[in-house]
Amino acid sequence: MKRRGRFPWFAYLVVILGGVAMVMPFLDMVMSSFKGPGEYGVIPYKLLPSSFNLDNYREAFSQLELLRLFRNSVIVTVSVTISVLVTSSMAGYALAKLRFRGRAVIFRFILATMMLPPFLLLIPTFLIMLNWPLAGGNDILGRGGDGGLTTSLVALILPFAVSGFGIFLMRQFMVSLPDEMLEAAKIDGANQWQTWRLIVLPQTKPVAITLGLITFIGTWNEYIWTLLISSSDPSLQTLPVGIQLLQSFLDPDRTMPIVMAGLVISTLPVLVVFLLFQKYYVRGVVLSGLK
Amino acid sequence: MTTAVSRVGDDGMVASPARRVGKLHREGLAAYLFLSPALLFFCVFLILPFIFAIVLAFSDWGGFDLSTLKWAGFSNFGDVLSFDGTFVKPILVNTLLFAFGSVFLATFGSVLVAYCIDRLSFQGFWRVLYFLPVVATVVAIGNVWKMMYQPAGLINAVLNKLGVNSVGFLSDSSYALPAVTVVHAWASIGGAVLILTAGLKAIPEMYYEAAEVDGANSWHTFWSITLPLLRPAVLFVLITQFIGGLQSFALIIVMTGDGGPVNATNVAAFEMYQRAFKFGAWGTASAMAMVLFVIILAITLLQLWIARRRGEETS
Repeated sequence: MKRRGRFPWFAYLVVILGGVAMVMPFLDMVMSSFKGPGEYGVIPYKLLPSSFNLDNYREAFSQLELLRLFRNSVIVTVSVTISVLVTSSMAGYALAKLRFRGRAVIFRFILATMMLPPFLLLIPTFLIMLNWPLAGGNDILGRGGDGGLTTSLVALILPFAVSGFGIFLMRQFMVSLPDEMLEAAKIDGANQWQTWRLIVLPQTKPVAITLGLITFIGTWNEYIWTLLISSSDPSLQTLPVGIQLLQSFLDPDRTMPIVMAGLVISTLPVLVVFLLFQKYYVRGVVLSGLK
Repeated sequence: MTTAVSRVGDDGMVASPARRVGKLHREGLAAYLFLSPALLFFCVFLILPFIFAIVLAFSDWGGFDLSTLKWAGFSNFGDVLSFDGTFVKPILVNTLLFAFGSVFLATFGSVLVAYCIDRLSFQGFWRVLYFLPVVATVVAIGNVWKMMYQPAGLINAVLNKLGVNSVGFLSDSSYALPAVTVVHAWASIGGAVLILTAGLKAIPEMYYEAAEVDGANSWHTFWSITLPLLRPAVLFVLITQFIGGLQSFALIIVMTGDGGPVNATNVAAFEMYQRAFKFGAWGTASAMAMVLFVIILAITLLQLWIARRRGEETS
């Protein structure tokens, strides 16, 4: 490999120094999560705690109600991920393999959906959820109730249930599937639904893992919308929002270490999932860069 | 290629034009059934809110009763963009500084890191390391850095070791914006490194070989081969990260709570959020959103234009 040249000491220096800067905050987070009362926030600063016991983790579970937050996070993340995978592969199949009037227009529309920044739709989407007809006590015109759809976990799932990026990713992948395979299925008497379900879906496994992973991590970490929806109903908090908001209820002397323990616990699931499937995630990021 | 071949195959199978039309019709019906969940979703959660966002920006409305909504013309924009208000200065200026600053740092850092990683062993390991902040929640990143910026935190401890006095990074209004900008840049280097790596791998090995034959050192090679050929990827990273930086405010909520000290870290999207959900000023907030959207749209169109021009160049 010529691009490596002689011993790249300069490259090692840069990458290792940068790597320390990348890891230090996480190391500080883990170490702080073990610090006892009177150990955190004192000068001189010490990275290491005096002992590694799990007191703060126990406190995090009881004071932060981590189990409730965890349950909400899992329900929302799994629902959104499944919904995005199903709707993306259905729409992607139609756009990649079926011939119909309006296909080019719809594909261009899907591309355009990715250009609308989320913050622009924040206010109107909130108002739409609030005035959702026949939900949360609303009448058929969406009036009168208290909260509409914003009072249940549905509010955290529905606005993320379909992804323009997901449809695009699936469509790009499915275009390259051989048509002969689909023709063969048709000759064997399969209808479109069966062709999609039995022939196309199994083939899309690699791109489905990529999309599932991106969606899973994005939803698990989603902050702004959940903060907004749960501001009137704390029972809807997910892990990131709950940990951030419950800080003020904690024993002040030990607040940050307990918060850090909570954050370690909330980061672990995504970290494990990411490390297991990082090959697919990396490919997804690269694909999104080439769109 | 494959579509051309398959179309011939299709035609061969169809017995008569009438049957062909029937088949296409049925295929169209199936296609729209497959698309229906997505299209329905986009109608309710994209087109409807988009129109609503435009209407709100031009109306005077508080509370939740739609019948009290009044047309206000451009008065919201007048209020928002007037120079004695806070939106243009400091908030919009902060937004641009935050986005420019973090894009500059992240692009510079990621080009350097991606180039260096490309010359090492265990490349996958290094890339995952730099990618960790992208996977972590903004609440974790924000709180950890907030903690590190404290007088008793890690960064001031290092400064003191170097003989520098402690700095109140988040409490001093001249340091607060640079402090959050650095964190945003830190968190976005990993994604940029991945995209740049794909760009680096696409540079043919023979260019490097030719440079070595000509006796170029690695500094020379970087400037005259790597960087020019990496330009499309760098440009992509620059623009997408800039667009992301312009609308990002989760980190600021977590680190400073209210955009303080005294608006020093307040940015446009956060101001919109506050005006809407703290004060119920839907009209003003929507006008702010629209101003920011127009800025972002202009940059997006610029990106599309550049991509298209590049496509014409290569073809």
